[in-house]
Amino acid sequence: MYVELKNINKTYGDYKASDNINFSIEKGKLIGLLGPSGSGKTTILRMIAGLETPDSGDIIIDGEIVNNIPASKRGIGFVFQNYALFRYMTVYDNIAFGLKVQKADKKYIDDKVNELMKLTALEGLGKRYPSQLSGGQRQRVAFARALAPNPHLLLLDEPFAAIDAKVRQELRSWLKEMIEKLGITSIFVTHDQDEAIEVADEIIITNKGRIEQKGSPVNVYQNPETSFVASFFGQPSTIDDYMSFHSFEDVSGIEKAIIRPEFVKVSKKDEVQRFKSSASEGVIESIAFRGANIELKIKVNDTHIIAKRGLDEKEVHVGEKVDIFIYRLFVTKGNEVRLLENKSLVDDSLVI
Amino acid sequence: MDGKRKESSLVKWLLIDISALFLGVMLLLPLGIVIWQSFKQGIAVYMKAVTDKYTVSAVLLTIEATVTAVIVNTVFGLFAAWCITKFKFKGKKLISTLIDIPVTVSPVIAGLMFMLLYGKQSALYPYLQKMHISVVFAVPGIIIATVFVTFPFISRELIPVLETHGTDEEEAAALMGAGGFTIFRKVTFPHIKWALLYGIVLCTARAMGEFGAVSILSGHLRGKTNTLPLHIEILFNEFQYVPAFAVSSILVAMAVMILVLRSVIEAVARR
Repeated sequence: MYVELKNINKTYGDYKASDNINFSIEKGKLIGLLGPSGSGKTTILRMIAGLETPDSGDIIIDGEIVNNIPASKRGIGFVFQNYALFRYMTVYDNIAFGLKVQKADKKYIDDKVNELMKLTALEGLGKRYPSQLSGGQRQRVAFARALAPNPHLLLLDEPFAAIDAKVRQELRSWLKEMIEKLGITSIFVTHDQDEAIEVADEIIITNKGRIEQKGSPVNVYQNPETSFVASFFGQPSTIDDYMSFHSFEDVSGIEKAIIRPEFVKVSKKDEVQRFKSSASEGVIESIAFRGANIELKIKVNDTHIIAKRGLDEKEVHVGEKVDIFIYRLFVTKGNEVRLLENKSLVDDSLVI
Repeated sequence: MDGKRKESSLVKWLLIDISALFLGVMLLLPLGIVIWQSFKQGIAVYMKAVTDKYTVSAVLLTIEATVTAVIVNTVFGLFAAWCITKFKFKGKKLISTLIDIPVTVSPVIAGLMFMLLYGKQSALYPYLQKMHISVVFAVPGIIIATVFVTFPFISRELIPVLETHGTDEEEAAALMGAGGFTIFRKVTFPHIKWALLYGIVLCTARAMGEFGAVSILSGHLRGKTNTLPLHIEILFNEFQYVPAFAVSSILVAMAVMILVLRSVIEAVARR
């Protein structure tokens, strides 16, 4: 394991930012620390960097406890949320800063900076100041600056938060490619689930200062281990009484059920349905066009659920009665979670 | 629409006129009088008053006190602003409030405080005597008084600038292995340069004109502990009006120089 956190605790006044954090990261992986704001993910990143000190516990990097090693000696590259570029230095001087501090050879600095500017597509911008750059360019300067001193570990705090939607999409794939190419172990913090799923090799989900789950994007999305994780991804609808929907196993002591839009099949009354006998009737309350699909808010069995319909399917209208079939749902008891498949699906497969 | 525009242009000119009139009566007229009065009896009399040995020593003492106050307060102001904006600690609010005391306390009271602290009735006095240090009625007292009244000027200019600046750039530099002094020189200083210069200008202007606190601690020893404002007061009290105004014109000229410097700094900083 390359980076290890053991029993880390950190409190700010009354606020518990880290509550017994334990995790480890393999060398060369790109890790996404994902969680809502205030869940303690940035604190974890800053403690690894040495910008904050844990109250207790050990941080181990490459087999060495680094608790008492100052930030400047840890050899970590850090990309700040707002980039924190030196605004009174040119792009060139920003990137060269870390090497100049190390008193590297002039020729080496020049070669390295030019190499990084080429890598990050910043050629020709060396003499500009950060204020003269676009958001995407600034992000790339911050990235190049963090990489210049050849860090063993790269930390990125909300690297895409300050960039507009279209450029963000491009930068995500760019960053993923770049980090894969360089093979540098990296951890990035984000509150955006899509970003984490798309970019990270592995996701660590934080909530209220604790680690909820760690795993591959597919794994955390499909097999949530806690009710928080189950309700964090997608656009979940939470319902109290899942037994009001047909053909689910009755598990005792269940508090809530979580239904993601992709678990729901919405059919018009005149459409052919495979599981008509297990469907419930609902009324469409609102319709929102989401570009790639149509999002529906449906009132069914005295609760509301969010569902989606494709653009190629027949149009539906507000107030229209539709049939709702739920393929599967998550049921929760405390912080435990379990996936229930609709029994009619199981029976169906048995028949075939 | 048209009526409204006419009305607002009327308001505009009315406000401009009132401001101009106020500035004329309150500032330009008195300043003009100073210049006019000091040359009333001709250049020769003016030159005589200005080159008088007591005047020259007052100018030198004023410069000495001002330069010392500016140096001390620049160093203190940088440290105070740095520690208040870059660190989190208990009592930070208290320190930040204490810095403002010199602006809220009347300079006369400041003078009296130092009189009680370093004067003959103080418990410190015998020790100071033993070390052959005289504060009251001597140059150190004048410098201490000047430092005190100009205490907050530089730190107050720096704190807001450093606060909006945040600590990210410093943290970024520290992560890349830079030491404290390198961080200050390369990252922080370029940012606060203009605010610092502006603070120094304000501090200089205030230090030159200080009267109240200095008046108490000086003892008005001509040629020894008289600063320019005190010298003017003495001349005026002796009914030597022309010399009093002539010496005043020196102080006015110094103030105008500072003002011009300030405008230049502001113009350059805005660029």
